[in-house]
Amino acid sequence: MRTQPFPIRLRVAAGACLLVLGGCASFSKDGGLDAVSTMTSERIGQDVRLHETGDAAGDDAHAEAARLLAQPLTPDAAVRVALLNNRALRASLARLGVAEADLVQAGRMRNPGIGFSRMSGGGETDIERSVMVDLVGLLTMPMRRDIEARRFEGAKLAAALDAVRLAADTRKAWFNAVAAAQSARYAGQVREAAQAGAELAARMAQVGNLSALDQAREQAFSAEATAQLARARHNAVAAREHLARMMGAWGEQTAFGLPERLPDLPASPKAAGAFEAEAMQQRLDLRLARLELEATARALGLTKATGFINVLDAGYLNSSKTGSAREDGYAIELSLPLFDWGGARVAKAEAVYMASVHRAASAAVLARSQVREAWSAYRTGYDLARHYRDEIVPLQKKISDETLLRYNGMLVSVFELLADARSQIGGVNAAILAQRDFWIAETELQAAIHGGGAAVPNTEQGLSQ
Amino acid sequence: MSSRRDFFSGAAALVGAGLVSRAGAATLPEAPIMGSAATQPPPAPPNGRPYNPVVTLNGWSLPWRMKDGVKEFHLIAEPVVREIAPGMKANLWGYNGQSPGPTIEVVEGDRVRIFVTNRLPEHTSIHWHGQRLPNGMDGITGLTQPGIQPGKTFVYEFVARRPGTFMYHPHADEMVQMAMGMMGFWVTHPKNPALHAVDRDFVFLLNAYDIEPGSYTPKVNEMTDFNLWTFNSRAFPGIDTMNVRQGDRVRIRAGNLTMTNHPIHLHGHEFEVTGTDGGWTRPESRWPEVTTDIAVGQMRAIEFIADAPGDWPFHCHKSHHTMNAMGHKVPTLIGVDQRGVAEKIAKLVPDYMVMGDKGGSMGGMDMPIPENTLPMMGGQGPFGDIEMGGMFTLLKVRKDQKPGDYRDPGWYRHPPGTVAWEWTGEPPAAVRSNGPGAAATPDRKPVEVEVTVRKPTGHQGHH
Ligand SMILES: [Cu+2]
Repeated sequence: MRTQPFPIRLRVAAGACLLVLGGCASFSKDGGLDAVSTMTSERIGQDVRLHETGDAAGDDAHAEAARLLAQPLTPDAAVRVALLNNRALRASLARLGVAEADLVQAGRMRNPGIGFSRMSGGGETDIERSVMVDLVGLLTMPMRRDIEARRFEGAKLAAALDAVRLAADTRKAWFNAVAAAQSARYAGQVREAAQAGAELAARMAQVGNLSALDQAREQAFSAEATAQLARARHNAVAAREHLARMMGAWGEQTAFGLPERLPDLPASPKAAGAFEAEAMQQRLDLRLARLELEATARALGLTKATGFINVLDAGYLNSSKTGSAREDGYAIELSLPLFDWGGARVAKAEAVYMASVHRAASAAVLARSQVREAWSAYRTGYDLARHYRDEIVPLQKKISDETLLRYNGMLVSVFELLADARSQIGGVNAAILAQRDFWIAETELQAAIHGGGAAVPNTEQGLSQ
Repeated sequence: MSSRRDFFSGAAALVGAGLVSRAGAATLPEAPIMGSAATQPPPAPPNGRPYNPVVTLNGWSLPWRMKDGVKEFHLIAEPVVREIAPGMKANLWGYNGQSPGPTIEVVEGDRVRIFVTNRLPEHTSIHWHGQRLPNGMDGITGLTQPGIQPGKTFVYEFVARRPGTFMYHPHADEMVQMAMGMMGFWVTHPKNPALHAVDRDFVFLLNAYDIEPGSYTPKVNEMTDFNLWTFNSRAFPGIDTMNVRQGDRVRIRAGNLTMTNHPIHLHGHEFEVTGTDGGWTRPESRWPEVTTDIAVGQMRAIEFIADAPGDWPFHCHKSHHTMNAMGHKVPTLIGVDQRGVAEKIAKLVPDYMVMGDKGGSMGGMDMPIPENTLPMMGGQGPFGDIEMGGMFTLLKVRKDQKPGDYRDPGWYRHPPGTVAWEWTGEPPAAVRSNGPGAAATPDRKPVEVEVTVRKPTGHQGHH
């Protein structure tokens, strides 16, 4: 690209400026990671580190992951492994470097260029020598630095948000995996009960005590139970694989062990606290929205002040979409005030700012609602799990005891005994699932408070729902 | 102007109201309450015409008051707790503390006045099954009288005309009230006590209940699948034995208020049916029996000389009726090898035990069963388990049982050599005789029995 040559005096001034500015643009020591790590550990109690395979930190991380995976995983250990190992998170952390590089870049002038041209024709030769300086870059440098500083800040927030989300998703995956494995074991017991019934029926039919019809019924029960067991076993594999993906586990890491059962319910549920207010303080996605709002406000100020610089046409209008990397950017347009003195531009800037204000407010309203819903799910989950543990399962046990007494008194047959055993197993299984749902609801409540859960939908999505 | 009809209904209302309010306490005879389910030895009649009293199996006879030559009884219809057998009690409805109610004993020609107080939560009435009486005393709610409302007392009055064996029971919501145990026995003795007099005269009702194992109150809507078959609302081993002196002439009278017939069978003796619903049978019409079927709503009197000492079963011959609560849909496991399967089941049901593969006899197994539930079969005899329940008791004939003594003399002591014994000798060799006559019994050849099944084909029947 060619730039217009400038008069010599200007070049000198630009050169002086270049020297001054060049001194203020440099890389930070930690690349923003410390800030991310602090935000993350404030929320999930675990820090994040960026390392690369092969470097010393990478070896440490690998060793730590290996050590954690060697014993039955706790939910915290699973989260730790995910934070160390998950490639998507590492990609997100790596983007911090990109943002910082952009910031540093924004503080540096484009290198001056030297032009040389020789034109000859009609027996004449015209040789022109020029030194080219990026004047627009120079003029917009403070703006760009300001914007890039905010983008860097945003990237840190986004990385922390990714880490907190990953932690929540990993915890949920852990509860699902453990519960699914438990369910599969119970499905195995159900099948055993059904098989015992079918085998007994077959022997009864063999000696002439049971019709083909009744025998077929018992066999059908058993066959159905086998199908259910296959489904349950696959569900256990799928849930475990989901956890493995969250932890970024591959190769020998996939041989991790899980405990036999879910953690017990806490003795009492959390007391209802000022969770909404806490969420307003804590949620990283709301902070991000506020950061964007501030940036828009600042850009609006610029537009108002000059009328010639428009930084709003791009840039902060983008918002992150769940599931894809955050993409944003900006463009600064410097116009010459020949025909348009900027009135329309200022009006547009104001409208964009207001849209931003509403978006941030909407995000806060939705976040509050999410917290209230998550709280309800948490309390209901706790009460239901306790109800299963203290009411339903003991009642089912009582039913089994009474059924056995009736079997003893020759009041019911062994088939009723087996049917009851199956239904009791089903009841215990339902209790496991209620317990799992509680722990997932607990995780989601944390996520709703800290912003590691579902993203607050943007206004358009919100309206279309 | 009042019509005849108004006069009668007004009078009836007056009687009822007068008894329960102002002069009630003074005019109502006492209503004795029985707390025990044991057989009460019969007292001789304190007044009125003499008679030979009956013995109500696991029951009692209702005392009366003589007033101006009228025998006054007072029955109270009320909820009761009846012990069906030790280990099981039932919430029933009955009379004067028990179900069935007390036996009413009167003499042919007696004028009888029965006060009936209703302490049930719904109206009731009493029908005097088999009696000759004025139509308005027949006790049919809606037809011959209004129902006796809770808290009210009605009076029935008639002359006991025909001697014989009778019953009483409600004819108001009778499906429920009889399912709940409302019934009682009635005996009208002949004027001449010497007429067909016996040494011992036992009476009881046949009744049936459907009480879910582990519960206490009968299911009142059952019609066929009862699980408790009882004599006077008692099930074996809770039924008292009938204890008699050797040589006694014994009469047993039973009335059937269940919904099925009962072939009642006595061991060791033959008897004759001497009385039916219609009265005493003529001697020339009697024939000897060891079993007599008592149909629904019927009464039978049987008589015999108890000449064979011992402990003789007396029971319904429907084998399910000599069982207590049992599962009628339990499949047959006889001959089923449960090895392997049993271990599998025991893993799921830790206290599981194999049963039924050798038959129904539980051979002394003493396993916990639901509360308030009688074992399917129970009772211990001198030689082990008496594998019976329900409508089963014993006739105990003893040489030294004193007249009027109804106490249980204990187990029979068999004279030496009169009890079946185990043969312990060597099994005999199967030797074939070569003597004369051997030709007449040729060596048996195994006969092959070929079972052929003719399968239908499409062309059969077209030839
Ligand atoms: Cu019977």
